[in-house]
Amino acid sequence: MLAKAMISHYRRHPLQLIALALMIVVATMLWTGVSVLTGQARDSLAVSEEAVAARKAVVRNDGQPVSVTDFVALRRAGICVAPWLETARGDAAQKVIGIDPLAMACFDAPPTGSDSAGLDGDPFVDISEVAGQSSRPGQLSLLVSPGEGPLPSEYQRREFRLGPATGELADSFLLNLDALSLLVLFITGLLVRSVYHLGLAQRRSSFVLLERFGVEKARIRRLLTAELTLLTLICVLPGVLLGQALANRLGQGFGQALESLFDLPLYAGESSPVPWQAALVMVVLVLGACLVDRFLPQRPARQGSSSGLSRLPVWAWSATVGVGLMMVFLASSLIWVFAGSALVFAGVGGLMPGLLARCADAVARRQRQTPSSSLNRWRYRELAVMFRNLALPVVALQFAMATVLAVQALVTTFEATFDQWLAQRLSAELYVQVPDGADAQAGERALAQLDGLGDWHRVRSGKAQLLAGDGAAEPLTMDLMALSPITPLVTDWTLLASVDDPWAALASGGVMVNEQLARRQGIQSGQSLRVKMGESALTMPVVAVYADYGRPAAEVLVHGDSLPSGFRPSFQSFSINPGALAVDDIARRLRAEWQVADLVIRDNASIQALASQVFQQTFLLTRAISVLTLVLASLSLLVMGWVFFSTRSWYFQLLGIWGVQPGEIRNQLRRLALLLTSGVTLVALPLGVWLTWVLVSRINPLAFGWSLPMAVYPGFWLELGLVMAAIGLVIAWLIGRQLAGQESLRPAANLEAGGER
Amino acid sequence: MNPVHAALLVIVAVSVSACSEVPENEGFAGLAAMVDSDSSHYFLQPGPGNTLSFPGDLGPHPQHRIEWWYLTANLQTTDGQPLGLQWTQFRQAIKPRPADSPAPPPDAWPLEAAWMAHAAVSFDGRHRFAERLARGDVGHAGAVAEPFRVWLDDWRLSAAVETGPGDTWHLDVQADGWGYDLQLANTGERVYHGDNGFSAKSFDGQGSMYFSLTDLAITGTVTLNGQVHQVQGKGWFDREWSSQLLKTGQQGWDWFALHLDDGHKLMAFRLREDERDFLSASWISPGGEVKAMGPGEITLSGTDWRESENGRVPGRFRVQIPDRNVDIQVSAPDGQYWNDGLYPYWESPVSVKGSHTGVGYMELTGYGR
Repeated sequence: MLAKAMISHYRRHPLQLIALALMIVVATMLWTGVSVLTGQARDSLAVSEEAVAARKAVVRNDGQPVSVTDFVALRRAGICVAPWLETARGDAAQKVIGIDPLAMACFDAPPTGSDSAGLDGDPFVDISEVAGQSSRPGQLSLLVSPGEGPLPSEYQRREFRLGPATGELADSFLLNLDALSLLVLFITGLLVRSVYHLGLAQRRSSFVLLERFGVEKARIRRLLTAELTLLTLICVLPGVLLGQALANRLGQGFGQALESLFDLPLYAGESSPVPWQAALVMVVLVLGACLVDRFLPQRPARQGSSSGLSRLPVWAWSATVGVGLMMVFLASSLIWVFAGSALVFAGVGGLMPGLLARCADAVARRQRQTPSSSLNRWRYRELAVMFRNLALPVVALQFAMATVLAVQALVTTFEATFDQWLAQRLSAELYVQVPDGADAQAGERALAQLDGLGDWHRVRSGKAQLLAGDGAAEPLTMDLMALSPITPLVTDWTLLASVDDPWAALASGGVMVNEQLARRQGIQSGQSLRVKMGESALTMPVVAVYADYGRPAAEVLVHGDSLPSGFRPSFQSFSINPGALAVDDIARRLRAEWQVADLVIRDNASIQALASQVFQQTFLLTRAISVLTLVLASLSLLVMGWVFFSTRSWYFQLLGIWGVQPGEIRNQLRRLALLLTSGVTLVALPLGVWLTWVLVSRINPLAFGWSLPMAVYPGFWLELGLVMAAIGLVIAWLIGRQLAGQESLRPAANLEAGGER
Repeated sequence: MNPVHAALLVIVAVSVSACSEVPENEGFAGLAAMVDSDSSHYFLQPGPGNTLSFPGDLGPHPQHRIEWWYLTANLQTTDGQPLGLQWTQFRQAIKPRPADSPAPPPDAWPLEAAWMAHAAVSFDGRHRFAERLARGDVGHAGAVAEPFRVWLDDWRLSAAVETGPGDTWHLDVQADGWGYDLQLANTGERVYHGDNGFSAKSFDGQGSMYFSLTDLAITGTVTLNGQVHQVQGKGWFDREWSSQLLKTGQQGWDWFALHLDDGHKLMAFRLREDERDFLSASWISPGGEVKAMGPGEITLSGTDWRESENGRVPGRFRVQIPDRNVDIQVSAPDGQYWNDGLYPYWESPVSVKGSHTGVGYMELTGYGR
């Protein structure tokens, strides 16, 4: 009997039950999807990093290319090597790699593609197909198992990279994805709480009635807890399954991109187990968000603060925001940034509904006392009431929009940055490694004599030491890169700070430092550094700080002519744009110059295209998550707005009694709904911009030592505003229909029913 | 006779050619499917009346689909501890090659044959196993009849002189953390199984060419965890080739090579079938006379089933040959003796008790999961 009485509210208001259930299902779906996707993205990227981790190949000491004879000699000597025959298939960007799965069986962790899943030609085929059918002779490499001992004396090991390393860019992205997930969880909790408490407010009169019949308050609470627990358990299950299905669907594209880049089946979305941890988190979240008040000291409810968000005074919320901002700004570790951000969000959440309501009141007061403006005044007063009573969904929507704005900015910035980073690291179409023992100077002369050759430069890499000014501190060992000549291949690099004409200054003996080094050592453009290269120490002016994404190491860049004569580079290469020449002609010329038959030439264009592809898919994933968050928040606003507008219908009908025409009433409703959603949009913008700044300028530098450029995208703000406007119009339309269908006035518009007289 | 090897090679070939689906009801590991496959008629099929020739039959048979070189040894360390040892090298043809056709050039990385080698040592209750794989015709795996050598990477069995009584072979295997380096002296005649070397494998007449060297005196060293053990004992070497071995319904086999203390040798196998098992044996006298036996002349039953990491497997067999008054119990020592490679199978040294005593080797396939 008591249970029947408890649920009688939902019998009378099935829409509220459906809305609450829908919120839990959609919230669970969102959270499950996000957690599955981020988990799988993390696993996939970890595997892909492993796949492209530098391996070793065996090369001959005499510079001749390795052949099947070398393979046989090494295997007969007990060395675990496997052939890797790489060639192009028509389009140069479509590589095809011949491997021998049988030979790879001796590798503890086969390099790639060697499992029995099949050699499907994308890009792996059995090596006999490449050797026997390819019109272009491939380049044979002999990969050596990492655990192998010494090689026969006529061979040595060489670095062999199977693909581009994405470095810390991926880590950074995943960290931000984690932060986004937590934010999604927070927003979800707010939304569910707001819908639940709206229902509770409407049921208070029935609870009072039950108390009068002798039912203890504690028993009513227990029944309410049981009701919510049951509803949560029922709704979480489909939510989890839907979330997993969503993640699998979204993840497939991601997985395909990873496969095409790293040539490995990396993404196991379909076969992933049901994410019960996500379900458990959701159950705890829903119960916690809705029932947390039970564990807080009871205070008398205040007029206009049904949500409980505004219990603290304005100064307390303002102080919370202020402290949070300071913490984020001054933080020296990530934990403080996260804590500060949480304070800012909490403070904004506490402040904003009251602030919006006061603004609406202020606007209402400023309306002139004329009959024609009375409707305006009414509208703004009504808006103020709504901001107060819809505090939770308003705040949740604001947070959701801020998140969407920040994620959009982050993703767009990431894309641009990643393209720049790739372009910077793969600056030319071709990359030619100078063979051991070859005279790179002679190669330089040979390239200079080639008519029709495009831009090119020589790269010398090694180590340098940064000497402290007073000579007391330990010198800092850094990577050194020397370029010459300076060509348009590098002059479009992103420079974070520079003197005038930095590339000319570099050629005149200057030094450029990467962002990581500049941040760690506090180096600024214009100051002088003591740099030891080889046995010589030089004092060099810093002419620029350059962005160097995806690398943790400190690096300095000098002109090749600045290198002291005794400096021995550990690695040399040429970056070349072929211009009017064919790649084979350039290779032939260099082979002849260096008297070698084996030359490592890498096609940077194909690597760049493939690397971009994987990040495109990752960005799509993130966008999907942020859009889903927005959908959830919008759905919540729609439901809440509709329910709340319904509770105000008595007032809206009064407009008719006062003589306002039905068309004008609908117009006022439209304007009211638009004001509500656009108000939320407006306050979401600064929070979104601030969140973007935190992600790119605080979290990244603290985590990785480099920052992403800060950018805002007003075009997207407009798009978001239009979406919000559409939601407002839908609410107004629904209420308009409801009003038109009502024959009599509803008497139950009071505070306990969720409204306000 | 140990057709597990053929099964293993089929698996290799399947993985190489990316044919990931083996239809049902094609016999154990798809071996029966080979009978009906399109290319089977391009391979030569052994049959009654085929004869052996030497030294050629020690070398490879590219016109046949499958073959193996197989050694088991029952050795003892200097302090008398028993040590079992196995080495096998298999060839699985993927494409048949006519006898008069030259091998394809190595730089084409041809895929006409796959090679696989297995090595195992069973000592002090522990079984060590290693597997190597290679493609044929490239050079790092192969076999030559004269001078006899079989190799895969740095594992090799080789003879410096022409094979025959009194010849010496050298077997060198180095795996991860263990290995062996052995001298093998053949002190007996070749044993031709079945009908002058044609060994039937079913009631329908499928079979293989099969001969053995059953009197190998072995000395050398076995290195385990850095400790070098001087060993000596007796070995059994098999050569077998065919193009079809199993037919539909055959699930696996039990194979035995036994050195009996009275000087007799016994090779026996059972192919387990749905309807009735196919059994065959060779009873070899100390003088080298071979008596081939068919299904009605030998009985074989497994007992002492033991749970193992790969499923249930009989740890003991009762072998009865009434005509020779043989009624023996053949038992594996305690422990697990799975060769856990591409296709796991049981390979253990055995001891013989009952009407006769002795030692030997046992191979079991088709058990477990």
